[in-house]
Amino acid sequence: MVFITKLARVVGAQTARQLLSKPQSMTASSQWRSFHVSCLLNAERRYTDKHEWVELLESNKAVVGISSYAQEALGDVVFAQLPEPGTELKQDDECGALESVKAASEVYSPVSGKVTEKNAQVEDSPALVNTSCYEKGWLFKVDLKNPDEFQKLMTEEQYKTFLSSSADH
Amino acid sequence: MSLLLRRNSSQLRLLQRLGAATTAEVRRFVSRDSDNDSNNVTAAQSSTTTANTAGTTAGNKLQSTKRLNNLSAVADTDIKKSVFISQSHDIFTNLALEDWLYKNFDFGNHHVLLLWANDPCVVIGRHQNPFTEANVSRLMERGITLARRNSGGGAVYHDRGNLNCTFFTPRERYNRKYNLNIVTRALFREWAIKSEINERDDIVIKNKKISGTAAKLGRPNAYHHCTILASANKLHLGESLVKEPANYISRATASVPSPIRNLVDVNRNVNVPQLLSAVGYEYLRTAAMALEDGGSTQLMKQRGFQLVNPTERWFPGIEELRASYSSWDWVIGKTPKFSVEKELELKGDNSGMKLKLSVDVEAGLMSKIAIQLPQSDQMVPVVTPLQGKAYNEQNLNGIIDALKMVSTSNVQQAMNGSI
Repeated sequence: MVFITKLARVVGAQTARQLLSKPQSMTASSQWRSFHVSCLLNAERRYTDKHEWVELLESNKAVVGISSYAQEALGDVVFAQLPEPGTELKQDDECGALESVKAASEVYSPVSGKVTEKNAQVEDSPALVNTSCYEKGWLFKVDLKNPDEFQKLMTEEQYKTFLSSSADH
Repeated sequence: MSLLLRRNSSQLRLLQRLGAATTAEVRRFVSRDSDNDSNNVTAAQSSTTTANTAGTTAGNKLQSTKRLNNLSAVADTDIKKSVFISQSHDIFTNLALEDWLYKNFDFGNHHVLLLWANDPCVVIGRHQNPFTEANVSRLMERGITLARRNSGGGAVYHDRGNLNCTFFTPRERYNRKYNLNIVTRALFREWAIKSEINERDDIVIKNKKISGTAAKLGRPNAYHHCTILASANKLHLGESLVKEPANYISRATASVPSPIRNLVDVNRNVNVPQLLSAVGYEYLRTAAMALEDGGSTQLMKQRGFQLVNPTERWFPGIEELRASYSSWDWVIGKTPKFSVEKELELKGDNSGMKLKLSVDVEAGLMSKIAIQLPQSDQMVPVVTPLQGKAYNEQNLNGIIDALKMVSTSNVQQAMNGSI
């Protein structure tokens, strides 16, 4: 298991370096995790009305997670079932589940595409979804099939408005 | 049944009609209640084929997704309620029925409580490991079925002395506390039994659990189901929910074992048919979203009790769901990957020398089998035809028996060879 986790980190680090397209010192590489990439690129995060978020890594690569509102509503996540790399997803497909206190909540894919990676760290410690839902708690990465879908999702502003308008239920 | 009928003669007529018009019932299930408050008679008069019904189901699903945005606008009084009573006692059929309703039904203006009881079985949560929750080989011997449900939570034992209640609503109106209160109010109204809902959403009587809860949240629908122990076989319950003796390393959701109590030990008049009718009536006489008792006035506004027969004719596609729920791929294959460790004593010069056997299991299959000597950290792979086979006690014992033939010097040799 340790081995797998390390491997995931290395892959994450490689992705990070490719994306930034500038050399990184090897000493820092073990510290690199893929979620840092998005922070550095300052990519925009889009939301769905089902409280998932999507962030672009490149023009056609994206990372998916659930919003802070969703993780709060769920409570302590005790198990994460994530889509296997290679899975072809259509928008709104059921692609996994997060289990909190006795409740299994389905995860729906906000975009269409092929899963390229799942977050092994979240599988090992599902609580990351609660403690760091936008960074360490990302769920999976996809190669976007239809980048237009991303553009049609809610922006941060729109999502906030959506949350306040639906706060009564 | 007789109890149900005695209470209300109008219900009796409804039940009789239901018995007569099975195909009409399928159509009624998929019809939208907001537009169509029709009774069975009108539905029975319009004849539809099963194929059409399936089409309507898909259409309704679309409609319901669209309507999601307006769900909060639905007034309590616009929501009708039904109590469905499953006529099956087969766990896989009932799980399939529950799943069918979850996937196909429009609960926008129609909340449903499904009541069901099963022949002896152990039901584990969606993300659980059957080997750490139950004594799988013992279950086989006793003829107790092992099943995996689609909701979260822990392992439970069912038999005909246990009533299961599934509360279906749109995701927006999922409310565990409301549902559990229906149960506790029913117990009080019927038998003056006082029970409490604890912080884990178990219903307890004097700190012993009579009901366990789990839920499935999706779009557009959600359900919450709970068990109610009326007169279950406590001996079988206790024996079934004990894991097999080995050290399991698993990330699967673990059950929280709790001492349990049967309602019949609280009040000897309790029995499952009466419990079923008590919970059903309490559900129907309570407002749809608020815990307000509407008495018989509210009761008469509802759609009442309906006996449902979970067959392909009533629910097109249910057979396929049942096949999937009863398959090895679902029950065992969906087990989150885990490892089993077992200490073995070896033949050898140093008596008492212990060896650790470690088996990795992925998707229910033994993917890696290895042994470890006490002085060493190195894992030595074991070559055996059992690799890639299903994990179970018999296959594990097969490996152990084979290893008993191995002496310490063999292992040492093997290790030296592999370095």
